[in-house]
Amino acid sequence: MSAKARARRTNFLLDVTLFVICILLLTPLILLIANGFKTPQEMLVWPPTLFPKDPTLENFHKVFTETPLLQWMLNSFLFALLSTVAIVATSALAGYIVGKFPFRAINIIFILFLATAIIPFEVYMIPLYFQVKALGLLNSVGGLLVGYLVMSFGIFLIRQNVIASIPDELLEAARIDGAGELWIFWYVVLPLLRGPLAALAVLAFFQAWTAFAWPIIVMTRKKSFTIEVGLANFQSAYTVDLSLLSAASAAVMVPSVLAFVLLRRNFVEGIAASGMKE
Amino acid sequence: MTKSTRSRALKTAVGLLLAGTVTANAQDVVIWGGFPELTGYYERVAESLSGKYPDLNVIVEPIGLRDHEKRVALGLSSGLDDATILELIGSTANRYIVNDLIQPAPKGVSTFVNDDSNFEAFFQETAKVNGKVYGVPVFRGQGALFYNTDMLAAAGLEGPPTTMDEYDEYAAKLTQRDADGNPTVSGWSLRLSGGGGGIAEKFWINLHQYGGTLLEKDGDNYRAGYANEHGLAALKQYVDAVSGVKTVTVEMPADAAAFQREQTAMFIRESWVIGDTAKKAPDLNYKTAVLPRGSIALPVNLYVSGGSDEAQAAAWDFAIAANEPEHLIWMLDNVGWLPNRSGVDYSGVVAAKPQFGAFVDLPEDYVFFTLPSIEPINEILTRFAAHLVDAYADESLVGNDSAMLEVLKASAEETNKILNRAGILAN
Amino acid sequence: MLRRKQFWFAIMAILPTFAIFGWVRLFPIIETLRLSMHEWNLLSKNKPFVGFQNFIELFSDNQFMDALTNTAVIAFGAMAVTIPMSMVLAAIIYHRTRSRFSGFYETAVFIPHVVSLVPAAMAWKWIFDAKLGPLNAIIMGLGGDALPWLFDPVLSVICIIFLVSWQTLGYGVLIYLVGFRNLPKSVFEAAQLDGANGFQSFLYMSVPLLKPITLYVSVVTLISGFNVYAQAYVLASDTQGAPGRQVRVLVLDMLENSFQNFRVGYAAAEAVILLSIVLLLTMIQFGLLRGKGGR
Repeated sequence: MSAKARARRTNFLLDVTLFVICILLLTPLILLIANGFKTPQEMLVWPPTLFPKDPTLENFHKVFTETPLLQWMLNSFLFALLSTVAIVATSALAGYIVGKFPFRAINIIFILFLATAIIPFEVYMIPLYFQVKALGLLNSVGGLLVGYLVMSFGIFLIRQNVIASIPDELLEAARIDGAGELWIFWYVVLPLLRGPLAALAVLAFFQAWTAFAWPIIVMTRKKSFTIEVGLANFQSAYTVDLSLLSAASAAVMVPSVLAFVLLRRNFVEGIAASGMKE
Repeated sequence: MTKSTRSRALKTAVGLLLAGTVTANAQDVVIWGGFPELTGYYERVAESLSGKYPDLNVIVEPIGLRDHEKRVALGLSSGLDDATILELIGSTANRYIVNDLIQPAPKGVSTFVNDDSNFEAFFQETAKVNGKVYGVPVFRGQGALFYNTDMLAAAGLEGPPTTMDEYDEYAAKLTQRDADGNPTVSGWSLRLSGGGGGIAEKFWINLHQYGGTLLEKDGDNYRAGYANEHGLAALKQYVDAVSGVKTVTVEMPADAAAFQREQTAMFIRESWVIGDTAKKAPDLNYKTAVLPRGSIALPVNLYVSGGSDEAQAAAWDFAIAANEPEHLIWMLDNVGWLPNRSGVDYSGVVAAKPQFGAFVDLPEDYVFFTLPSIEPINEILTRFAAHLVDAYADESLVGNDSAMLEVLKASAEETNKILNRAGILAN
Repeated sequence: MLRRKQFWFAIMAILPTFAIFGWVRLFPIIETLRLSMHEWNLLSKNKPFVGFQNFIELFSDNQFMDALTNTAVIAFGAMAVTIPMSMVLAAIIYHRTRSRFSGFYETAVFIPHVVSLVPAAMAWKWIFDAKLGPLNAIIMGLGGDALPWLFDPVLSVICIIFLVSWQTLGYGVLIYLVGFRNLPKSVFEAAQLDGANGFQSFLYMSVPLLKPITLYVSVVTLISGFNVYAQAYVLASDTQGAPGRQVRVLVLDMLENSFQNFRVGYAAAEAVILLSIVLLLTMIQFGLLRGKGGR
């Protein structure tokens, strides 16, 4: 067998493996989407049917007419977008600094950044809530944003990528050429970080998109809900309207997948940019 | 960028930041509820007030119960901007009242609540603290037995069980088993796992039938009341069912869903199951029955806080209008929660949906109990539940009364420790 | 002189971010942790100082100890599953970058990370179901006995590890993919000329070169592992008549203590212990994965 044929066979086997893994990972979601098309009676069937016997669009109809689902998605989108911009901007610069400027003060700041990630936001959000309230920012995207301006893991992610893929020599060479520190960051470092920054954008966007504990206390009006808070509305005191909830979640998956596919293109293209460095 | 485009960009940015901001209006009344299924009811009440208050804008904002309780805590402790009607279980509201975060109801409201022809003493008491009225009673959660009539007929049983011994007898006869003797349909579905507090609450309901109580009141203080023959009888029933005669197992499907799927013959639950079953299993043949001695009742009241005096007055009017018989009948019929007001004629609803009978037509001597308004109530229930979950599945306890009593004693000691820490332990 | 200039640049550049951190993270966290020495019920105006009493009580609290053990097992379990799996999966997907399905692979692996848990949990309850679930069907097909996954104290913890790993796998793969794409290609071309095959170059070149990324993924999965709670909550809730054993985890215990038991100081003491333990573990991770570029 020629090397080429062998490579092709290996690739085929790898594709099959990946397909199987992806299908396994997607099974719970396939069931979720199927549930969106079920009647309340069929919802009760146990074990659940993977394909609805008597598919109905009733749930989707109800979700879109009885709840402001599109408004919620729009609120979430705006919040996620602004949060992403803030997080990418702060993380890019701070991540580069903590990665390439190993001064003691900077290291201490980095440890502080990381330590704040250990305590879950739900546990310490009350003092922040009182601040947002005092600023009159309840029920506004600005108030939501206060909790999502920075991300420890974002700074950490950029730091690790700076360490892994930006050689010190490159920075030294630029300094010897007389370049200013800001110039180096903007024209040398940033282009090399396109891939990691795009990945960070994905993570930041979805962190805000799926946020729950903070939006639920800051946004108390149905009109200003984010999507995840809106979804919680399908739970009554003791039961969950699972068919409606599933339909709504399935509908929400559409923009999620779209957003991921769009952002993903950016970090695939990141290869071209980072390829320049050798 | 030119100056004008920059300022336009700035304006757009500010506009975006404020998107979704809601401005308060003098005639806004917000309703914060923990029962999203009641939205339609509140909207009806609001509509009926539009003649008296043409500018009144009622905004109904329900959310799941846990999240509701959290937002009330934050909202009340930092002050509410709008006049807000808070839907709260009496024991929960008590915390805010003793901390001066909810003000007493105005005179007219208090007269309405204190009128014996409107509410029975039990419900009046839950809306009061130290004799002062703070809220208006609306509805309650209450339990009854649900049983599958086809299964009872197949087992040759007539009518529902009426004593706790009969419950055991029925459970044994109703259990369906496979060839190896493992149960496939439970005779009586019990709460054996899941989130903490509920397990202990369900245990309390059974304990109540034996004449016992989880917490004994003594003046203003409490002590654990279950490490005795009543507690033993209730625990024995559970242990026997799960680990002895095995009429139910921990792994079996449980609760309303199992009943609707015909995987259990009987279970005790609140009245919302009736509406839920009509939707999910309309062909199920079942009836309800009152419990042997009495039931838990968790009364929910409406309280008002925040906003201008004018808006507050409208909010209190709303709370009274919510008690109009026509709205209450609508609630029972369409939502399935039980209204608290006396003297309302529900016979139309009961005739159409006879299952409501066991919730509204009660024997004279039916005894209600409710969760006491004490701060550590949830902690007591959760920690007791942890002991119960282990005991239910412990086969070595079957037939060993003294060992079961030890379990109860150890747990009661823990309960008393919690009460003591909160400074409310009776000696 | 040059170093001095660099130092001041670094300080000035990090200052704005640090200021925001101070406002939205450090201040509220310190406000909260301060309460660990006090008693507060969320509403009352007085917060009496109680010294170390909360901490002393914690160490004799079975529920807390139980939560601590469960959480640690879940965090390490999820880390042990996520790191190798996401690295290998990312390597294969990276290898197949030119495949027309690469977009599908990446999306399929990532989407579980962003789906709401409550509706997805129903599928997981079915998978773990003792009588009718596919997991037990497979075990029985292999000749084993059906297991009560959601009810056994040990198995129910494993269920949570499953669920957490399902969600974090996509996160890990995404990070590793970026890492792979940023690796210098020239090194691999040289290795290929020397006759190294794909597997060898993965093991001897990619794995060491990706050390900083592995450090990142391991720290992040460990910290988020210690923060699990929604997963434990949904698997125990009784939607669809299929309850499960409530696995107590730290955050669940903290939130219950502050919002339902109204013991904010006690919950804050738990947070202090969580912070100390995880900070120590993170330091150890940094120490272990140090090395060339592994700061």
